[in-house]
Amino acid sequence: MARIGVFICHCGENISATVDCAKVAEVTANIPGVAVSVDYKYMCSDPGQNMIKEYIEKEKLTGVVVAACSPRMHEPTFRRACGEAGLNPFLCEMANLREHCSWVHDKNEATTNKAIDIVRTLVEKVKRNEPLMPIKVPVTKTALVIGGGVAGIQSALDIANCGHKVIMVEKDPSIGGHMSQLSETFPTLDCSQCILTPRMVEVAQHPNITLYTYAEVESLDGFIGNFKVKIRKKAKSLDEKLCTGCGLCTTKCPAKKIPSEFDQGLSNRTAIYVPFPQAVPNKPVIDKEHCTYYIKGKCKVCEIVCPTKAIRFDQEDEIIEVEVGALVLATGFDIKRANFFPEYGYGKYKDLIDGLQFERIASASGPTLGEIRRPSDGQIPKKIVFLACAGSRDPAKGIEYCSKICCMYTAKHAILYKHKVHDGTAYIFYMDIRAAGKNYDEFTRRAIEEDGAKYIRGRVSRIYERDGKLIVVGADTLMNAKTVEIEADMVVLATAGVASPGAEELAQKLHVSYDQHKFFAEAHPKLRPVETNTAGIFLAGACQNVKDIPESVAQASGAAVKVCGLFSNDELTRDPSVAVVNRTAPPLFSTCVGCFLCQSVCPYQAIEKEEIKSRDGKILKTVAFINPSVCQGCGTCVALCRSKSIDILGYTHKQVYAEVDALLNTL
Amino acid sequence: MNEFEPKVVAFVCNWCTYAGADLTGTSRIKYAPNVKIIRFPCTGRIDFMLILKAFAKGADGIIISGCHPNDCHYTSGNFHAKRRWMVFRTMLDFLGVDVNRITFSWVSAAEGARWAEIVNTTVDGIRMLGPYDNYRKMVNQETEVNNG
Amino acid sequence: MDKLRQKAKELLSNNEVQIVVGYEEGTAGKARPAFISSPDQADALIYDERCIHNLAVYLTQHKLSGNTKIAIIASFPVMKSIITLASEKQLDENFIKVIGISKDNNIIEFKDFADIERYINQQDLTFTPEELALIEKIDAMSMEERWEYWQNEFSRCFKCYACRSACPMCYCTLCITDFNQPQWVSVPSHKQGNFEWHINRAMHLAGRCIGCDECSRACPLDLPINLLTKKLSMDIQKQFGYSAGQSLTEPYALSTYKPDDKETFIR
Repeated sequence: MARIGVFICHCGENISATVDCAKVAEVTANIPGVAVSVDYKYMCSDPGQNMIKEYIEKEKLTGVVVAACSPRMHEPTFRRACGEAGLNPFLCEMANLREHCSWVHDKNEATTNKAIDIVRTLVEKVKRNEPLMPIKVPVTKTALVIGGGVAGIQSALDIANCGHKVIMVEKDPSIGGHMSQLSETFPTLDCSQCILTPRMVEVAQHPNITLYTYAEVESLDGFIGNFKVKIRKKAKSLDEKLCTGCGLCTTKCPAKKIPSEFDQGLSNRTAIYVPFPQAVPNKPVIDKEHCTYYIKGKCKVCEIVCPTKAIRFDQEDEIIEVEVGALVLATGFDIKRANFFPEYGYGKYKDLIDGLQFERIASASGPTLGEIRRPSDGQIPKKIVFLACAGSRDPAKGIEYCSKICCMYTAKHAILYKHKVHDGTAYIFYMDIRAAGKNYDEFTRRAIEEDGAKYIRGRVSRIYERDGKLIVVGADTLMNAKTVEIEADMVVLATAGVASPGAEELAQKLHVSYDQHKFFAEAHPKLRPVETNTAGIFLAGACQNVKDIPESVAQASGAAVKVCGLFSNDELTRDPSVAVVNRTAPPLFSTCVGCFLCQSVCPYQAIEKEEIKSRDGKILKTVAFINPSVCQGCGTCVALCRSKSIDILGYTHKQVYAEVDALLNTL
Repeated sequence: MNEFEPKVVAFVCNWCTYAGADLTGTSRIKYAPNVKIIRFPCTGRIDFMLILKAFAKGADGIIISGCHPNDCHYTSGNFHAKRRWMVFRTMLDFLGVDVNRITFSWVSAAEGARWAEIVNTTVDGIRMLGPYDNYRKMVNQETEVNNG
Repeated sequence: MDKLRQKAKELLSNNEVQIVVGYEEGTAGKARPAFISSPDQADALIYDERCIHNLAVYLTQHKLSGNTKIAIIASFPVMKSIITLASEKQLDENFIKVIGISKDNNIIEFKDFADIERYINQQDLTFTPEELALIEKIDAMSMEERWEYWQNEFSRCFKCYACRSACPMCYCTLCITDFNQPQWVSVPSHKQGNFEWHINRAMHLAGRCIGCDECSRACPLDLPINLLTKKLSMDIQKQFGYSAGQSLTEPYALSTYKPDDKETFIR
């Protein structure tokens, strides 16, 4: 005998301004099965929730419909209140009278009638709700951090220091990411590698962290608390246990003309190489695409000179499988290069470089040992033009967003240049100066006032070469859009930050959402910035959106605490809204006929075969079985099953049919 | 003369279109009140028989909406739903059911304005097509059985 | 026919099978299915142009299954039905011996289901011009004409469910029509009930029908319901490249998807 309680909220004036709440309460009281129907100003408030609890006890309610805002807002609130009053939380549903009704229609009879229809639909659904108990699954207390830049490093250290095991996977031969390529960092101008390398070493030596470099995630299976990850360890052609990191092989390798990725193409490396001297792990890998042995079958000099015989040319990629409970994505970002700009020469001018290349030039361990020199002839430039917003904030180039870090690093570049070339002049073409962090504006002011950087507000329409100089043609909008032409020795483009290569493919492997620019999507832009929509996978750093080091570190620690929160329980409670294949009495056992067309439809491989056996072990029937620990509750199998042998708790056949019926039949 | 007000039922998925409709509400964008929403976990859960039941129970039009391809919260539910709809739509068209009365759409959680536009366009379209009398006539002839 | 009877006698005498499912003389000059369980009854077996019933429907009958080994005389549609049933895990290869009959009336002894699959894929699998013409006739009608046409046909149906009983692919132990929590298909044989039943039947057979036309033949009113499933078969083949009865391993069209399935109507 159904006894449903209907509680209609005014939501202050949000609902009552257009919906006649008293009338809705009056009409819904007449729906068969409704025991009580009241309206109130603020259902989610303490008095409101207490009212619901009192009615549950007083009227012995078997179900509750709260007609208020969207269930995405307050369903957990009201379900908790019902639970506290002794009613199974899954016997409570919400009718969306605010987002779907009062806020989108005018005040008239049709709106109130629609509100009545919506409530009636949910009443019919709740009458068919069943009490459900949350499903408990064990949690594997190991985290996987994908990406070894500053965000990944911070996350890994935080989680490891909380006592949990961490596996870090980095696709390059060394961790460190882009931060290891920088010379000095804003706004303090401390040396980037000096602050980063201690952390890198800490990761390598931490007892709780297992580091896999030159490795990538191959596949992901499972669900929150119980992920199974396959990691591909690319063949380094090296036995890491024997290698001492002496570096002799890198000095003897004859293939010396390979552009160094770490130096952004400004210097060369060998085929067997360590990306930079402070690399962690400080062991080389062989670049199979450029190694003479792998291409032509000749050489093997490294194998000959290696004192510990650590070279292994026959080494293959290795796939290892690990079980983890949570993932942190920290795959970072990339930047557009000079070849993105037809108006600036398509990258053919050697002295027209991007921000990362300038960092390498300014870096004490870089290709010019820290001296600012032109890549073309090694001369010291006396005039450098910096272009901010190169590609960013430009819908015509497909990048309508602001890349956030460029204003700050351009000011930094101007300061560094001036510190090293006292008689040099830095010009900066800008649109706005975005220096919103702590001490950031003071930093940009310093570039202008102390280091004489000349800021010109305007854009550059063209750059071309003449007599060994780069002619920069721009406009000065603060001087009536006067054309400005500068003969520069060097040009540095502060190019747009973009998603790192392979981000889309990784996101699809992990079932993580991403936006049109391939940045990973956070679960909610304001309230859930470190989570994704995929339970158990968290975000840290620039893979979500280009950001500077302080923010990356902060977000990384945020993701780490979410992981630790997940690991603070031995068991995770899962939403019980899962699909179930029916079981009936013998000799039928189930209406399932074992066609298993449902198996291929499940995105989580939750459907298994179950053999129903007689007492003496003979197989009587093979039917489908859905693992409640794996099922995520999408219901695709439910709609596919011809004999309707599968049903899904929370959206059963009866409920859905009753909702359609109720929606269209007026009282 | 009573203006015909279409009755339209919308079957939407919880993660994208339902959230998108919430956003329409939060943004206070107005749309026609003829559409009432039923929530599903995923478009993959939507049974094709529900479309027939909706028409049988008095709907003049139907909207079915979910996540954009590749964005399904459950990865592939919307792809399976898409194939199911392609086949079902062929079936309905073959039988002379007015498939123009059914709007299929992908509306994401960020597309509040677009949801309102789809609702308004659908309701206007159904208003022009008029009430679905043919279907209603078929349903109401319970006692007319002809065993020719 | 002699070779057939010989084969049947042989299989039954060796106890390789316990039942041979084939055809025999029926009443009023028609053929009918036969279930031969001893060698001396094997002479009743016939095979001629009247033997068009789809015998695969008996393969999922539970009375016959279990420890009983069955031999089945398989015309081309029966072969396709067997492959479709096998791909849906309804048949145990060890318990079924298939004796195929080719287009020129020769016996084919299949070793296993993979053998049948190979044979099927060597034949012409396109729709016949007659089949295409029947569908095109209805496609050419306007929407209202189609509605009238099918409403007329459906009004004659009296829900005998002979179509369901005759189809080999309708093997669910509990049919959706028997499901009344909720009642998806209205039970009475009024216009709505018939409409819902036939749509449901066609959709459940979408991509699983191999076009034997048994449903229409079984119908006491000769309703052209085979056109419904045929139309969907043609559509599925065109849109997804999938046809029933041709592969033991390819997943069912509606159980899988391609990210770039092309449609024209989703906004």
